[in-house]
Amino acid sequence: MIFFSNAFNALEQLVTHKMRSVLTILAIVIAVTATITVVSVVQGFTRYVSEFLEGLGTNAVFVAPQRPAGEAGKALGRVELDEQDFRAIESQCSALRRVSPLVPREGARVRYGRDEITVSLEGVAPSYHTVRNFPVDLGRPFAIVDVERAQQVCVVGREVLRKLELDEGLVGDSLLLDGRRFRVVGILESKGSFFGQSLDNRVLIPYTTALKMYPVFRRNLILACEAENAEMVPEAKAQITNLLRRRHGLKPYQPDDFIVQTQGEILATFNNVGTAAVSVLAGIVGISLLVGGIGIMNVMLVSVTERTREIGLRKAVGARRRDIMLQFLTEAMTLSLIGGGLGIALGYGLSTLASMHPRMVDVVVPAWAVLLGFGISAGTGVIFGIIPALKAALLNPIDALRHE
Amino acid sequence: MDGQPLIRLQGISREYRMDAEVVRALRGVDLSIETNEMLAIMGSSGSGKSTLLNILGLLDVPTAGQYWLDGQDVAQLSQSALARVRGRRIGFVFQTFELLPRQTAIRNVELPLIYTGTPQRRQLAIEALERVGLADRMKHRPNEMSGGQRQRVAIARALVQHPAILLADEPTGNLDSRTSEEILDLFETLYGEGQTIVIVTHEAEIAQRCRRIVRLRDGQIESDQRHGDAGKRTAVAGAATGGGGG
Ligand SMILES: Nc1ncnc2c1ncn2[C@@H]1O[C@H](COP(=O)(O)OP(=O)(O)OP(=O)(O)O)[C@@H](O)[C@H]1O
Ligand SMILES: [Mg+2]
Repeated sequence: MIFFSNAFNALEQLVTHKMRSVLTILAIVIAVTATITVVSVVQGFTRYVSEFLEGLGTNAVFVAPQRPAGEAGKALGRVELDEQDFRAIESQCSALRRVSPLVPREGARVRYGRDEITVSLEGVAPSYHTVRNFPVDLGRPFAIVDVERAQQVCVVGREVLRKLELDEGLVGDSLLLDGRRFRVVGILESKGSFFGQSLDNRVLIPYTTALKMYPVFRRNLILACEAENAEMVPEAKAQITNLLRRRHGLKPYQPDDFIVQTQGEILATFNNVGTAAVSVLAGIVGISLLVGGIGIMNVMLVSVTERTREIGLRKAVGARRRDIMLQFLTEAMTLSLIGGGLGIALGYGLSTLASMHPRMVDVVVPAWAVLLGFGISAGTGVIFGIIPALKAALLNPIDALRHE
Repeated sequence: MDGQPLIRLQGISREYRMDAEVVRALRGVDLSIETNEMLAIMGSSGSGKSTLLNILGLLDVPTAGQYWLDGQDVAQLSQSALARVRGRRIGFVFQTFELLPRQTAIRNVELPLIYTGTPQRRQLAIEALERVGLADRMKHRPNEMSGGQRQRVAIARALVQHPAILLADEPTGNLDSRTSEEILDLFETLYGEGQTIVIVTHEAEIAQRCRRIVRLRDGQIESDQRHGDAGKRTAVAGAATGGGGG
């Protein structure tokens, strides 16, 4: 009975002191919303990128020619990676399962009838489908003969069809790639998009054909390799490095004239960026929690004088300490729950809204972010609501009443 | 009732420890108050009147001496027992009213009933407001009332539990003479109904209307007088009193 009248009394106080209640709730809402939104967006972003990178094949290893930086780099002669290197790696590196050359030609023009679009053209071997996890879902993938005879055949991505407003009937038909006629033999399975960039705006042709069209890449190949399994990736990297250094006649003091990059390293690089982003955003979250906390603290402490007198009066007319504590706890918890609830709802709302943007990733709201935001703001609310009340409740009623 | 006074103070002292010096607001006060007395505490400013009344109201704790209320040594009471006594046995009226500013008259009067878990608070609050003649101001907030009306609300709040003793610290100190007169009439009516009342005042006219006047000086009782023409009931009460010193 006394419990309920105390609790009811507390709620009545909240309505009576509208401004104070609204300000406290607002501070909590801001803190909780900021935490949830920021953390969720970062989490969604991180997860999205890792999933994307993992989807490209975790055992992949890329090799590309690269002139080392500095004097040592300048001292080197020509920096090359050619078909002989490819053959050597393919036959001698036991840790590798497959290797495909990659001739990257960005901005190739595709023409069908009167329509012309630009795509990324990649000259590859049949093994590329597996190494990069680019299967064909209609028609056929490349065959060895396509490469051996340098046939003018191609496999196209879904985005190419969409842009040219063509249907799957294109398989068997032909189109112009940088002015040459190619027969379409297959269509790649869709990879979706990455930050709004379609991954399907791509056309694959045999690398032998590509080298004829763009001979500059003959000494400038990229190799896409697949290690036997994830454990063999470091071994594969070592084998490739040793082999290429030997083939390129590098002395022990000379740096590599190529780079070997594993999918894991790319993932790690990204994860570092991700971690940096998370720490920056954690700072922002921390600040918003601090601001929210100070706001709550301020509202609670500013009303201490008035409330101390109120407590003195309540004690003078018969309130026990526990009545006072119950009242103030109810007040603080009600504010925290309302503020926290609104903040969580708003945080989810904003996160969902962010997900709806076409260039944005699917946002994940982690439970710990909700708990963190809510815990800290509700914690400050309750602590700063309760401590002054507790201090006042311990005073003689007359001292509380005379409080200035 | 069984020969015990309602209130008995013995050697009550109250010291305030300031930085270096010690202010002795009360020094060894002995006082007995019987049921249905109307007593005025007088004295110059700073003589310790409010300090004494606060101790009587259990709002403050003496630094020395003993205080028996209803024969019970209040020093032995737990915090929650003290709260209970404040709520049920004592009604306190402050010079500055001390109403909750944002709440209606009726809400203010209901306040003590919350802490005793009394049902039908509203009904009791309405009755108390009717007793002080404020039936038509129940829904008003303090800032919508005159000083006299506010003090009546405060008195209604003090009366709502039917306390054994009503303590008022300069209840008319912030009121003009006509309003003071009304408040005093109200006290006399309550007294006539059997209410025990202690009023702190420094106005002689007010004190004259009380049946007993205790004068304080420098924290000590200087005199304790009863009127010769002590009203209807006081004769009985006076006979039972052993006297309050002086
Ligand atoms: N909280 C306090 N801290 C220190 N000294 C105090 C405190 N309260 C009262 N005093 C001192 O105790 C003495 C008695 O004060 P008290 O308020 O009882 O006087 P009073 O008789 O009620 O005076 P007035 O007629 O002006 O209200 C004064 O000297 C005062 O300065
Ligand atoms: Mg005083």
